[in-house]
Amino acid sequence: MTDNNVPVIDVRHADKHFGKLHVLRDISLSVNRGEVVVIIGPSGSGKSTLCRTINRLETIDSGEILIEGVPIPPEGKKLAAMRSRIGMVFQSFNLFAHMTILENVVAAPRSVLRRNKKEAREEALRLLERVGVADQKDKVPAQLSGGQQQRAAIARALAMRPKAMLFDEPTSALDPEMIGEVLTVMTELAADGMTMLIVTHEMNFARRVADRIVFMDEGAIVEENTPKEFFECPRSRRARDFLSSLRDR
Amino acid sequence: MKKPSIRDILYEPPGPKAQRRIRITTAAALLLIAGLVFLIIRQFAETGQLNARYWAFFGRGTTWRFLGEGLLSTVEAAVTGALISFAAGFVLMRGRLNRFPVIRFLSAAVIEFTRGVPTLLFIYFFFLAVPRMGWALSSFWKITLPCAVSACGVVAEALRSGVNAVPKGQREAALSLGFGEIRLFYKIIFPQAFRFVIPSLIAELVIVLKDTTFASVVSYADLMQNAKVLISNYDAMLSVYLVVAAIYILINCLLNKLSEYLARRMDRAAERGAA
Amino acid sequence: MSISALLDKYGSLYLQAMLTTWRLTVISFAGAMLIGLIVTVIRVCPIRPLRHLGDFYVQIFRNIPGAAMLILLVYALPYLKLNFPYETCVLIATVMIPSAFCSEHLMSGMNTISPGQIEAARALGFTFFQMILRIVIPQALRSAVLPLTNLLVATMLTTSLASQVPLRPRDLTGIVSYINTRDVGGVAAFAISAALYCFTGLALGRLGGWIDRKVRILR
Repeated sequence: MTDNNVPVIDVRHADKHFGKLHVLRDISLSVNRGEVVVIIGPSGSGKSTLCRTINRLETIDSGEILIEGVPIPPEGKKLAAMRSRIGMVFQSFNLFAHMTILENVVAAPRSVLRRNKKEAREEALRLLERVGVADQKDKVPAQLSGGQQQRAAIARALAMRPKAMLFDEPTSALDPEMIGEVLTVMTELAADGMTMLIVTHEMNFARRVADRIVFMDEGAIVEENTPKEFFECPRSRRARDFLSSLRDR
Repeated sequence: MKKPSIRDILYEPPGPKAQRRIRITTAAALLLIAGLVFLIIRQFAETGQLNARYWAFFGRGTTWRFLGEGLLSTVEAAVTGALISFAAGFVLMRGRLNRFPVIRFLSAAVIEFTRGVPTLLFIYFFFLAVPRMGWALSSFWKITLPCAVSACGVVAEALRSGVNAVPKGQREAALSLGFGEIRLFYKIIFPQAFRFVIPSLIAELVIVLKDTTFASVVSYADLMQNAKVLISNYDAMLSVYLVVAAIYILINCLLNKLSEYLARRMDRAAERGAA
Repeated sequence: MSISALLDKYGSLYLQAMLTTWRLTVISFAGAMLIGLIVTVIRVCPIRPLRHLGDFYVQIFRNIPGAAMLILLVYALPYLKLNFPYETCVLIATVMIPSAFCSEHLMSGMNTISPGQIEAARALGFTFFQMILRIVIPQALRSAVLPLTNLLVATMLTTSLASQVPLRPRDLTGIVSYINTRDVGGVAAFAISAALYCFTGLALGRLGGWIDRKVRILR
């Protein structure tokens, strides 16, 4: 499974409807090892849905999604095992409310990976140190700021030693002054070579960190491009309109 | 939009195996329920309880008129009891929020006392002890008063949480407009608090209604008592008690649904207000 | 009769009555918790007919008056050749009625969990049962401590149903009507029972409040 030519995430012709709404139209997208792919697009373009289908928090109607060349198992222990190899960071943090920050980070390695208690704890502390919330380890999520919670959530995902990380609008629920601290952690992760698929509205961050930009609109991928070209001279008209609508604000 | 219930998020979209499992278990569950219903009906049939003579008189108008009269007495007692408990609960709530610690303490004691003693004990008190103290009560009051006493503490606490739920800014705004404490409470605070607690008051009415079924202790002719007359007329214990229980369940169920509906509507209004 | 005279004459009966009430309360509450938990599992399971059955159970038993249920059990069920001893009849009523409320409290406890936490557990690779054990049940129980404490006190009050059947030894309510029909116990006879009920209820309330403060989840 260490074949570097097989993409870590490989979406092939994914299609999905919410009732009458066609939310994903024939999406094909792959993310290679060590690559950072940023999905941008107007709200309601299906980018969050796409991100969530990759660990089957949403199902697709047709098409295929492969993780390291293996189709996502539809259910059961195999699905759980596959999910444990992909980290996910949510818009609303979703830390477990009844556990301390440290317990949040230790819980899944203990329960899912059956790691030994001492090791799991030590690794958790290291990760909390890395994202800069080690001093908050004994507090419960409600006592932390949004930025701190999101950084702890990133540590929680990292504790599973994931092959890839999915970020579903990780800074959209944050107050402006806290966005930076989360983006810094994400930038460091990218520099360390983590494979990442990021849905975000932070254009400067996308431009700086992305290897590739994917622009989505109305459920379809409209353009895939390098950050430089995408932001300087986008090929598609819809991308141009979208970018200029951002500048006007 | 309705808030998603835990029921809808606990399970993820099922895969093919899970779908098959759900189909099979659903079929098995339906069989199980059908079997249960069958067993119950068979038990009725074998003991002769399906015999027409136990059920035919429910086709007569007089039966329902009689049950209706009983129900009316029940409702009369329940509504009277509930109204008294609302009034007493209001007084206790005012006492609980009073300036003077002594009054606060006394009110709290009364509230805890009425909440901590079973209704039946209050009923026996009004049935056995009160008449000996030289206070002749009709059977109506012997059931209504203890039910009211038993409910008033809960009502007081419900009203208090309603008052506490009124935003602090309301009080400050009214004071800055020159309202006095009394007018502030009755014109500004309480009308808002009252709207919050309507659902709990309806729920309390259900509890009072249930408590009135002890009316037989004081020989008040409520629904249960009238049922007994039907039973001796037609020699049909099981059918009559089942129908009477169903009537109680139906009424309480409707009242609870009303209370939940009002609470939901209020939640939505609050969300709109906050947005 | 004064309280001390009453206690001289009936002290041991009151003690027995209090123990009876406590015993009925403990058995009823344990049964109610167990059945309430089972009913709750049934109500959230993915099998629709079972869900409806669970909902039906709760609607029936949270709305039936205790007296009506006891009368059905004691007088009407024998016509179906279902005869239970008096104490069993009382316990069936004092288990099943609170069990419906227990299930309601557990349901609202579960509903305090944000959907996002369920998704996060899934995304981390928790299996369904791991998620239930590690995330759902701990949070549901911890947010249900206060409602369940109130339910415990309410269950104790419900056991006064025992006074409606010839149960020996009598419970705290039964003892009062017994003394009052034999002797002129007056207000004092009531005061003793009421005080014992209140004392137990307050103690339980304190305990529940203490546990709640220990385990409450900040949100």
